[in-house]
Amino acid sequence: MPDRAAAPPAGAYRARRLGRLNLEVRQSIGRVRHAAFIAFGLGVGLAISVAILLAAGVEAANIFDEFVVLTFFDRLGLSSVLIECSPLILVGLSAAVAFRVNFWNIGIEGQFFWGAIGATVIAIFDVGPPATRIGLMLVFAIVGGFLWIVPPAIFKIKLGVNEVISTLLLNYVAYQFVLNQIYGAWQDPRDRFPHSEAFDAAERLPLLGWEKVHLGLVISLVAVAFVWWLMQRSRFGVYMRFVGANPHMALAAGIPVAMTIFLAVGLSGALSGAAGFVMGAAQEHRLTGTMAAGYGFSGIMIAFLARNNPVAVLIVAFMIGGLYAAGQSVKVFYSLPQALVSLIQAIVVMCVAASDFLVRYRVHWLRGDGR
Amino acid sequence: MTVALEMSDVSKEFDGNRALDSACFRAEYGRVQALLGENGAGKSSLMNVVCGLYAPDAGRIAVDGVPVSIDGPAHARALGIGMVHQHFKLVRPFTVAENVALANRLGGRWTDELARVAETVERYCGELGFELDPASRIDSISVAERQRVEIVKVLMSGARILILDEPTAVLTDDEADRLLAVVRGLAGRGAAVVLITHKLREVHDFADRVTIMRAGRTVADEDPKTLDDRRMTELMVGSAPRSAVAARSGGGRARLEIADLSAARDDGVAALAGVTLAVQEGEIYGVAGVGGNGQTELAEVLMGVRPALHGTVSLDGEDRTAAHPGERRKGGLGTVPSDRYLYGLTADLSVAENFGLAGLAAGRYGSWWVASARMRGDTEAAIADFEIQGGGPATRSRLLSGGNAQKLVLARELSGGAGILVAHSPTRGLDVRACAAVQSQLLEARDRGAAVLLISEDLDEVLDLSDRVGVLNRGRIVGEFARPADRHAVGRLMVGHA
Amino acid sequence: MIEFLANWLAFTPVFAVPLLLATLGLIVNERAGVINLGAEGMMLCGALAGVACYIEFGESTAVGMTAAAFAGLLIAFLFAFVVVVLRADQVVTGITIVFFGAGLTGLIGLRWNDTAIAGFQKLDLGFLSQIPFFGKVVFAQDAMVYLTVPIAFGVWYFLFRTRAGLNLRAVGENPQAADAAGIAVDFYRFWAVAAGGALCGLAGGYLALAAAKIWVNEMTHGRGWIAIALVIFARWMPGRAVFGAILFGGIEALIPRIFAAGWPVPQYFLQMTPFLATLGVLVWVGLAGKRRSAAPGALGLPYVREDRW
Repeated sequence: MPDRAAAPPAGAYRARRLGRLNLEVRQSIGRVRHAAFIAFGLGVGLAISVAILLAAGVEAANIFDEFVVLTFFDRLGLSSVLIECSPLILVGLSAAVAFRVNFWNIGIEGQFFWGAIGATVIAIFDVGPPATRIGLMLVFAIVGGFLWIVPPAIFKIKLGVNEVISTLLLNYVAYQFVLNQIYGAWQDPRDRFPHSEAFDAAERLPLLGWEKVHLGLVISLVAVAFVWWLMQRSRFGVYMRFVGANPHMALAAGIPVAMTIFLAVGLSGALSGAAGFVMGAAQEHRLTGTMAAGYGFSGIMIAFLARNNPVAVLIVAFMIGGLYAAGQSVKVFYSLPQALVSLIQAIVVMCVAASDFLVRYRVHWLRGDGR
Repeated sequence: MTVALEMSDVSKEFDGNRALDSACFRAEYGRVQALLGENGAGKSSLMNVVCGLYAPDAGRIAVDGVPVSIDGPAHARALGIGMVHQHFKLVRPFTVAENVALANRLGGRWTDELARVAETVERYCGELGFELDPASRIDSISVAERQRVEIVKVLMSGARILILDEPTAVLTDDEADRLLAVVRGLAGRGAAVVLITHKLREVHDFADRVTIMRAGRTVADEDPKTLDDRRMTELMVGSAPRSAVAARSGGGRARLEIADLSAARDDGVAALAGVTLAVQEGEIYGVAGVGGNGQTELAEVLMGVRPALHGTVSLDGEDRTAAHPGERRKGGLGTVPSDRYLYGLTADLSVAENFGLAGLAAGRYGSWWVASARMRGDTEAAIADFEIQGGGPATRSRLLSGGNAQKLVLARELSGGAGILVAHSPTRGLDVRACAAVQSQLLEARDRGAAVLLISEDLDEVLDLSDRVGVLNRGRIVGEFARPADRHAVGRLMVGHA
Repeated sequence: MIEFLANWLAFTPVFAVPLLLATLGLIVNERAGVINLGAEGMMLCGALAGVACYIEFGESTAVGMTAAAFAGLLIAFLFAFVVVVLRADQVVTGITIVFFGAGLTGLIGLRWNDTAIAGFQKLDLGFLSQIPFFGKVVFAQDAMVYLTVPIAFGVWYFLFRTRAGLNLRAVGENPQAADAAGIAVDFYRFWAVAAGGALCGLAGGYLALAAAKIWVNEMTHGRGWIAIALVIFARWMPGRAVFGAILFGGIEALIPRIFAAGWPVPQYFLQMTPFLATLGVLVWVGLAGKRRSAAPGALGLPYVREDRW
């Protein structure tokens, strides 16, 4: 061992010329500044989206018209936004409820399918008198969505199985099951297309009398009110917050952690099932293989942008409903694929997630030695 | 003597919290420089600046008389600065040799290099009088051994300025003396040693000079021989030390009974091997012991977050061994966990929610519609009663300082009228004032008739507060003492390999 | 029966290789402490880039695979920038990458949609390929199958037999310790993500050029997620990943064999099996390994030097 006062170790270190960024962790942040940073992220995301639309051949002058004027300030456009946003509100709530207890439910599409399957079973086998048929369909859809999330919930709680993967894998299983039905026993006997037979009038959600807006919107609004009460006003909501933010402390403080997770996650599945019901009973009027496409990610994104707040879910879902509606017309006029909607959502989420950087850290530039 | 390290007017803020406020410091080759101060005074922050982990907001640093701006840990290392952190910077699933190799490049083919690192580790151990197997994994060796790995790691990198952050905190008295003798030897061979501590004894016995910090500032740089204990304490805390505690004989019915309790750590290794003890009403039962002898597991089993493998836990005569934490609470149990932000509080939720949770779970605020106004009112009352500073009911509890956060935990745990209190290291990391406040709350609870189980690795605290003391060693209570307990007898049992 | 077995085993590598490449990539990612749920999206980009460059640049599989790796790398740069440099939530960002990849390939892949290609051809190794049974199974695969063996070995060698590998694992286990030892945490994480993305891109490219020989939207069909599960199954070890990939490749290879044999098994239920088997494996790992997880200590946690929490 060399003497400690010996010459310094060979100076292998080369100092940075320019310097480096240093991050300071913010302990708190003002509301205005917080909102400004998120708005900044949102703005960047939208700017990139517009650039992509331009690159894809949409004329600059038309973007504003298509995505704002004809979507939100036009009777027909607004009605289709309201139709689009009904299932979106439900999947957004579904994701929010699960995320609040820190359960990443990526299997919304699978639960959506099982909701649709539950409704379809009642519809095509004409279970019960016509007057109660639609109610029974809703109940079965809710049960279907709930049952599909029970295994991942139990695996997570009892065995610590990563729910991101387990719920996602079950999406594919549900999808294959739907294919099995619509190419098999439930195939439409009339046109032999791979979808179920069309639902009868008693098996469809009634219209509200304004354009084609249907009762699904009311169901979604009731769900928002219910979830708002549950998460923001009930004791269970406080439990959910603690379980999500710190399950160790929640357990030590005497909260029934496992049951809280199970019930919240079950509700999440039920809400996704209800979304499948709305889609089946009000929009597609049958079981199809494509009806759930995109709703899983949209639900995740809505909950993320809404910070799991049910009222904010309503607002964000409305905006995404606008994107869906505009996407439909862009698809028709510019023959752009549905993938565009997915891409725009992904870009917006990524930018908002990235803007969290500014919310969480204060950035300093440390100058280096050599200049 | 030449100056190794000179820091002047160094300031550092963490998002508005001033950790260092124009602090000054110097260390010389061949000497042991103690850095004394209570928890939160800024000792570790100052040294983290030196070793390149924290970038200072202002101030000058010179190493060997040359002004430098330290760019990061690699730069500090190249300047001959090495630090043994209080929380060891070791990769647990790696071997000793791999950990040392991470920080020390000997060059050459990697497999040969690793072998040479192992050889060098053994050589250093031989010279320092350490025993270490370079091939053993970090998570299989003791805390004292891990510390030796850190020391070897730092010395191998050629450090001439050696910083040790509270090195004796995790050691027994004997181990601590041995370590400090080694450290003195290194200074004798020319190194500049910085010894961060809050123990006066170590300053008197081992330091050539002492720098005292308070609230981020340097308040003294003196020869320790010119300062007596009283003066040093005054400089450290700015007020007189705490007074002695009145004893009180228990002698009532036993409220907390633990019989033959066994439990395992997460990795399956046995941590408790048949603990038996009973706490009576109106007494504080102190569990003394070196950290890692089952304290954490004992506290967790009592909280109800870790299963007991064998034995029973009874509250007021009722067997609650397998009960959910919620049922234990109904049975009158309150718990003050050692890691406040793991089991005690949820950092991102408000003070009112953290305080009200226990009452909420007990049904005091309704279940369908939470009476949040009443919860806020109760929180405000508790904030006043327990003198919680730095926030109101709506403040996120993350923003509270350590002492105020601990007071919040205590306020909640005592709010339900808990008759049985399990407190694990309740004053860890607190400054003197907060420490005294927490301890007086424990004593008040005792005087109200509560049975208090105090599990602490701070022997002084256990001896000061406890009416009876049990020594926990290798997962067993190996001896019990009534007040006044003989410090040396307790210490012997703590390290005995019985 | 023997013929069925030989056919099955001969087809297994084609399905095992993409799973293995992606799993190896994810092991590198996760060993550095970054959980990459975006594998599916990176594979999709690799697949499209592979097919597109194969078609546009002289039908060369080498060009196609290089392009696939680059496409994966590019997406990984984006992911690494967001989660390593900006320290965003790795779960949200990873999921988003999946849909980003799906959306992007759906938008720009139109030109090459449903164009059948020749892609990788089985090598003819002369007399070796003629050996009964073994010749078909072992010595008549395409070039990438043989190339994957040194790649797997290389990943293992890098992680466990080099200094850089030790540094990378230290960053994933305990970034505080690595940083104090002078290891550049962000650097290792960034390049681990990049390398993982390139391997995922390769996996996607191989899927398109060798297994499917066509580009269709969302053609990876959950294989990225199966790879993520395989990492857990493999306990973050490259050697076990080889075993897991062969097992799951075998299950996938069995499905077309059963159809070809004309057995009366419901098609769609059969296609559920890889997903159900993956779920089964996760549950099995959960049941068996509850005591001690082999997951890197800092998996999914962003590192900030001055963070005092």
